[in-house]
This record gives sequence, C-alpha cells and structure tokens, in this order.
Amino acid sequence: MRLPIRVVFDQRGEAPKRLTALVPIVSVLAALFFGAIFLLATGYSPIDTYTNMFSDGFASSRGVTDTLALSTVLICTGIAAAFAFQMNIYNIGGEGQLYLGMIGGAWAGITLGDHLPSLIMVPLVLIFGALAGALWIFVPAFVRSRLGTSEIVSTLLLTYVASSLIDYVIYTPDSFFRNPNTSFPQGRLVSASAKLQSFGDTRLYPTIFVAIVLAVVLYWVVKRTEFGYRINVIADSPKAAHYAGINAKRTTMSVMLISGALAGLGGAMLIVGPYGKIEPSIVNLGYGYAGIVIAALARNNLAAIVVSGILFAGLRVGGEKLQISTDTPIHIGVMLQGAILLFALGGEAFRRYKIRVVLVRAVTT
Amino acid sequence: MNDTSHEVAQGSHHLGGVAPTALSAHNIVKRFPGVLANDNVDFDVRAGEVHTLLGENGAGKSTLAAILCGLYQPDSGYLLRNGKPMHLSSPRAGLQHGIAMVHQHFRLVDRFTVSENVILGSRDLGFRLNRKEINEQVAAVAESFGLPIDPNAVVGELSVGQRQRVEIVKALYQGAEILLLDEPTAVLVPAEVEKLFDNVHSMTKAGKSIVFISHKLGEVVEISDRVTVLRNGRVTGHVSGKGTTDTRELARLMVGRDIELNAQRATHPIGHEVLQIRNLSLSINEVEVLSDVSFNIHAGEMVGIAGVAGNGQRELADTIAGLISPASGSITISGAMTTDRGPIQAREVGLAYVPEDRLGMGLVPSMSILDNLLLTRDRKVIVDRTSIRPEASRLIDQFEIKANGPDHLARKLSGGNAQKVLLARELSGGRSATKLLVVCSPTRGLDVGAIETVRSLLNDARSAGQAILLISEDLDEVMSLADRILVLYRGAVVHETPGATASLSTVGAAMAGLLENGGV
Repeated sequence: MRLPIRVVFDQRGEAPKRLTALVPIVSVLAALFFGAIFLLATGYSPIDTYTNMFSDGFASSRGVTDTLALSTVLICTGIAAAFAFQMNIYNIGGEGQLYLGMIGGAWAGITLGDHLPSLIMVPLVLIFGALAGALWIFVPAFVRSRLGTSEIVSTLLLTYVASSLIDYVIYTPDSFFRNPNTSFPQGRLVSASAKLQSFGDTRLYPTIFVAIVLAVVLYWVVKRTEFGYRINVIADSPKAAHYAGINAKRTTMSVMLISGALAGLGGAMLIVGPYGKIEPSIVNLGYGYAGIVIAALARNNLAAIVVSGILFAGLRVGGEKLQISTDTPIHIGVMLQGAILLFALGGEAFRRYKIRVVLVRAVTT
Repeated sequence: MNDTSHEVAQGSHHLGGVAPTALSAHNIVKRFPGVLANDNVDFDVRAGEVHTLLGENGAGKSTLAAILCGLYQPDSGYLLRNGKPMHLSSPRAGLQHGIAMVHQHFRLVDRFTVSENVILGSRDLGFRLNRKEINEQVAAVAESFGLPIDPNAVVGELSVGQRQRVEIVKALYQGAEILLLDEPTAVLVPAEVEKLFDNVHSMTKAGKSIVFISHKLGEVVEISDRVTVLRNGRVTGHVSGKGTTDTRELARLMVGRDIELNAQRATHPIGHEVLQIRNLSLSINEVEVLSDVSFNIHAGEMVGIAGVAGNGQRELADTIAGLISPASGSITISGAMTTDRGPIQAREVGLAYVPEDRLGMGLVPSMSILDNLLLTRDRKVIVDRTSIRPEASRLIDQFEIKANGPDHLARKLSGGNAQKVLLARELSGGRSATKLLVVCSPTRGLDVGAIETVRSLLNDARSAGQAILLISEDLDEVMSLADRILVLYRGAVVHETPGATASLSTVGAAMAGLLENGGV
C-alpha cells in the first residue's frame, strides 16, 4: 500500500535572495542540532559545549585572534578551491599543493640567505610557495586542459605523493630541510628575515590581510575582467566559449595553475607566520581539504570565503579549546565541519526547488 | 467553456456512426511556477480516429499530452477511460490503461537491437529472455500495422524515420490502444512523413486512437479527423472534418490574429561575391562529414541549404565560422582567406553566425543580455560594460525583445526572444560590419509570431546587402525564403536549384538521397 502523499519538487526560476543568505545559516544551525544529538547520546550537555565553543572561538580576545590566525591559511585554501570550482574544475588536491607551498617557501627562506631584508625575503618566500603549489598542479592541469583527464583523480592522488614528500624531507637523516642541530626530526628554521612578527602576543600574523585582499581582488577579477568573463563563459557553456573563439585550454590551464598557487601560498604563509620551518604534523591538520568545505559553504563566491573561512576557523579553534578546558573530544569539532558541509549541500535543494508535500486525491467524477 | 472558444465547421461524415469515446479529459488545470499551462481544458479522443492537438510552443499541448499519458498529474480535473474514471500516477499506469506516448526525442538505447528496445521496461518476461520468440512477436506486431522492421537491427544504425517506427512498435507491443505522437514529423523528410501517415491510417483502421500533436498546419489538415486548438493553455477552438479545414482559420485560432506565414522573397539586386567555398572536405573521427563542397554567395543573396539533420549542415556552418578546421578546401569571406584561422579572424572580415543551438552555444544562459552582446565583440582587459549599455537598450527596443532591460538573464528569455537577442547581436556587427550571416534553423521551436519576425529580419538583412547562408531542416522555410537552394546529402551538395522555381518533390528526393548526380 502506498502512502497517499507525494513530495513535489518545483524548480524555481531564480532562487530568492532571502534564501541565498538563509540557507548557509540554517545549514550551520542544523549541523549544530545534529551534533547535539551525538553530544547528548555520549553524555555531554550540548548547550554547555556549544557555549564554550562559541566563547573560545569567537568571543574571547584570545579566541578571536586564534580564529583569525587559523582563518589565514583556510581563506587561502578556500579561494584556491573556489577559484577552480567556479569553472567546474575540481581541484581537490589543495592539501598537497599546500604542502608543496611549505616546501617551496622553506627552501626560499633557508637558501636565499640572511643578507636580504625582511621586506624582500617575506614576499620571496610567499612567491616561491605559490610557485611550488602551481608546479604541483602543473601535470594535472596540463593533461586536463589537453586531454580532458579527470583532475579530481590526479590532484587527489598527488596529495598522497606530497604527503610522503613531507615525510621524506623531514625524516631522511641528512635532508636539506631537516634541522641538523637536533636528533629529533624537525624542520630546519628559515632565516630570521624570512619570518614575520605576530601582532603583540597573539598568534596572528599580517598575512591575514594578504589573504583577505587576495579574496577580494580575485572576486573583482572574476566579475570585471576579460579573464573573468572567459571563466564565466567556459563555466556555463564550453560550446559558447568555442563559438566565441575563447581558448578554453589556455584558460583552464591558467585557472588550475592559479588555484594551485593559492593553496601553495597558504603553505608559505605558515612558513613566514607561525612555524618558520616545515612542520610535519601539517599532514594531520587537513587545511587543504577544509578549503573544499569552505568553498562549498560560500558557494564558490570568492569574497564570501572570507566569512566562511573565519566561521570555519572559529568552529575549529573552539573545538580544540574545548578538549583542553573540558574533556569533550576534539572530534566533535571535526564532525561539525562534516555536518555543515552535508547540510549546506542539502540546503541547495531548498534553494533550487520549491518543495511541497501534496496529498494524492482520489479521482472524483 | 471560456468565451474565446467556439465551434467551427462541424464535420458531417462522423454524424452517421460516431465511435465511442476512448479517452477523455475534463476541466484539466495544470499550473507551473508562473505559468498556467492548462486552464480548464477539455479533450477527448474516439476509437479509430486521429485527433490533433494544435498550438504554438507554450500553448499547453505538450502539458496536456503529458497528463493524458500519466507523466504529469493535473492540479484539478479528471480523466475518463471508456467512460470510467482513472487516475494515472505514472506513465506505467498510463500504459496499463493502454495509453502510450511517442516522444519527439526518442527514448531508445542506441546499442540495443530493435527488439531489445521494444521489450525494455516490460516486467513480465521472466529471468531468461527467449530472443527467438520475442523477435517473432515484435516482427508480428510490426507487420500487422504495416511497419516492417528487422527486430535484430541495432537501433544506432537506423535512420530517424526507422527509429520512430521502433518507438511506435514498442508502444503497440506494450498493448497501447491510444498513441500520443508528439511532433512526430519534426524530424522526418517528406517521404518519411508520407510513410508515417500511412502507418497512422493502418493503426486507426485497426481501431487504435491517435492523438497527434503538431504546430504544422498543412499536415494537421491532411491527417486529422478532428482538431483541438490550444492557445495560452486554453482551448480556442474545435475543428472537425478531414481535409475540409481552412489553414488560415486554424492559424488564426492558434495565434489569435491573422498572420502571413509565407514571407515573400524580396526583390533586390545581387552584388559582388561575399563567400566563396572551394572543394571543402572534412572528416570527423575518420568519418567523412563534408565531401568536396563548393559554392558561393553574393551580397544581397540568400542561399538555403536543405537536408535531413545530420548530413553535414552543422559542420558546414561551423567550418565557415572558423570553429572546425577542414581537411582540405578553402573558405574566402569578402576576399580574405579564413580557412583554418579561427572564429575571431572570420568575424574580423565580416562573418556573423547564428548557430542552431541558441542557449548554450550562441548565448551563455547564465549571463545577462548585455554580457551576451559582448560575447562576439572585442572586450577590453577590464570588461567595459558601461559604454555598451546604451546600445544594448537600443537593440532591445529595436528588435522588440521582451526583457526587463540589458541585465535580463539569457536563460529567462523565451525561445523567440533568445533568438532575437542572438540576431540582434549578429546583425549589429561586432568586430566589423556584418557582411556574411550564417544562420542555422533560425525558427526552430519558435511560435508563429516569432517565426514571422525572424523571417522578416532575415529578409531585411538581405535587402541591406548582406550575404546570407540559411541552413534549415524546415524545407518550407528554405523553399519560401532562399534565392538559391542547395541540398546536402551525406556531406555533398547533390542538388542545386533557384528558389523561385524549386520543386518540392525534387528537393525532397534529393534530401532522401534519391538523386544520384546533382542536377542544376
């Protein structure tokens, strides 16, 4: 016996503006509710947990600066993902490109000597990091733009290679990148001029401004320039691009290289910022993968990534502090990240369709 | 009954013995967001008759057909089958009541054989297929309605007309008593249309009912026992009596005003040579698509390419537009060699191209009218939208495009308005003044009013001295507009004739590949 109801999906012509703003907010709330079920089931108070998380992540001064510090790298990996996603190029290897950015940045910071002033060294480290990130995506970009080979597979698989590469440069006994003065495997410190000062006694570095400005500039590039126009045409209809004489191969190549460079830049920011060396534990932090979620939450809007990046960083910082102050497992924060992504994607259905439940009527004559 | 509806020319030959009503729909209302697709529509079909649903695109005929076969459910109203109420929750339920739809776009698996396609979706065949028995059954069903077809043929290798036959055989095999044919002639050449009509007759003789959906007046008059005309979701008239109907009256019911469908060939002087094509050949994936094509077009001349879809028309247009590099041969546009130079070079010497695929190739759906006008123009490094805005507004006025202004998104335009935007951009020139206009199926899928406008725009462009290459599957369109007609068959020009003296049967035969050597 079938239920006498049907769920009807009516496609919306245009998503109402109200919903466009509402869906991400409701997604976050729904994810918190979802997380609350797990907290309750494991004997924690959701209200206390979330209050603590919120105050640690967003409300206390330490929390705010820590959140902004973390958001610096997350905004980079977020725009790296979104810049490619908006052209339907799925660079999900931001994680690996981030590692390479660290390696490239560290190389410049160690090699280019102590003689250069900070004003030149820091940009050099960032540029080398970006170049290394671009280099890491070069082969996927080349085969994608020439042969149509799936960039999803190639960029993802290269992340595993990059992760082994990090291990290799740190754990090999006489590695260039390994600190020669300790027996414990650690990254070699870059020269002092390659490091930035943090603000006061916080962990926040001026690179946050670079990340935010980049997001806004790229947003403008996509909206206003010829390059952005081409991206928009190719994203919507490759056939129209071909018709208009737009070189899709070249644009695809450029977009992927830029995407890789942005993720690499994020890695280099970790060098000039908090670490000053290659930090092998980076492979457990998933900053590159988080960029994918951040891009999805911002619906690939490059400027909105600043907001979703900070939100995401706050959840994470709050989650980490929770484990220290109470004994709530850190994984609640990670689970919330996943739940937010799921609900944000699910929320898309409400944005695109008007969903109604209707009663199937019997025929009357 | 609504006030615009009325009865015309009551046919007399049915009055003797009227067959029982097989299927009827009463007070059907179907609403989509922003559109009332069916507004209190009544419709019925008797056993053994052809009842046509006539209307422009968007008149609601496809919606009604979808309701009749169970694809959509009406918001209100009800269906009766042989006088008994029924509820159709799905096309499968429709099939159980003996109602089947033959869609305009076939739903066949190319890699399967005819009989595999026919049995696809049947549930009671058991685990192991008895191919021999099934083949015999399929052949028997086909045979009995005069639709000979080889059950073992692979569908991908069949002609369009044969594929349609497979769809019909499938419906009959599944026990359909009422067949809904959605624009069945849109994809056929004249000879295939005749065959289809023969099949329709043999089906009605066997007591089947046919609901024929069309907007082509000529064929509607030829095939229908009765016609129901829809406009804006309402029934605007019922006409009955085969062959006795006035197409002019039908057109008026359909559009709501008197119209002139046959745009006259304008008299105009023919000037210098604008396009010259020499020995053009093209192969795609080692299949020859164009074979030694040569012709030219002069300023103020319209050359029409007739042919069944897939005989190289699209590739010819793309090659002229610089989108495909030919294997050999040359293309010269106003004296400049453009072979192999890409679309931008071709546009710089005066090419304009309206592709068949409006949204998705000619226009970018998610972009505004303004941005779409920029698509084939020179955009600065920082896209200059300010200076083109006044021109965009002017073109919207001049071409009578129904839009909220230059920021209106292309995908929100109706088919006719999208085509007008495309024509506005291409006729107004971009990288240089338009000298050669290549247009593919410019009126396909448009409603009658828009067809009229588009054809007169093409005529105006010709009068203004532009050279026009008109590629269309609509033979009537090519016959009524073009100064010269070339027929493309398997990539070769097999026939050439002046438009004024062209004969439908010769051109039709050439399209079907029945003319061996090109007569002039």
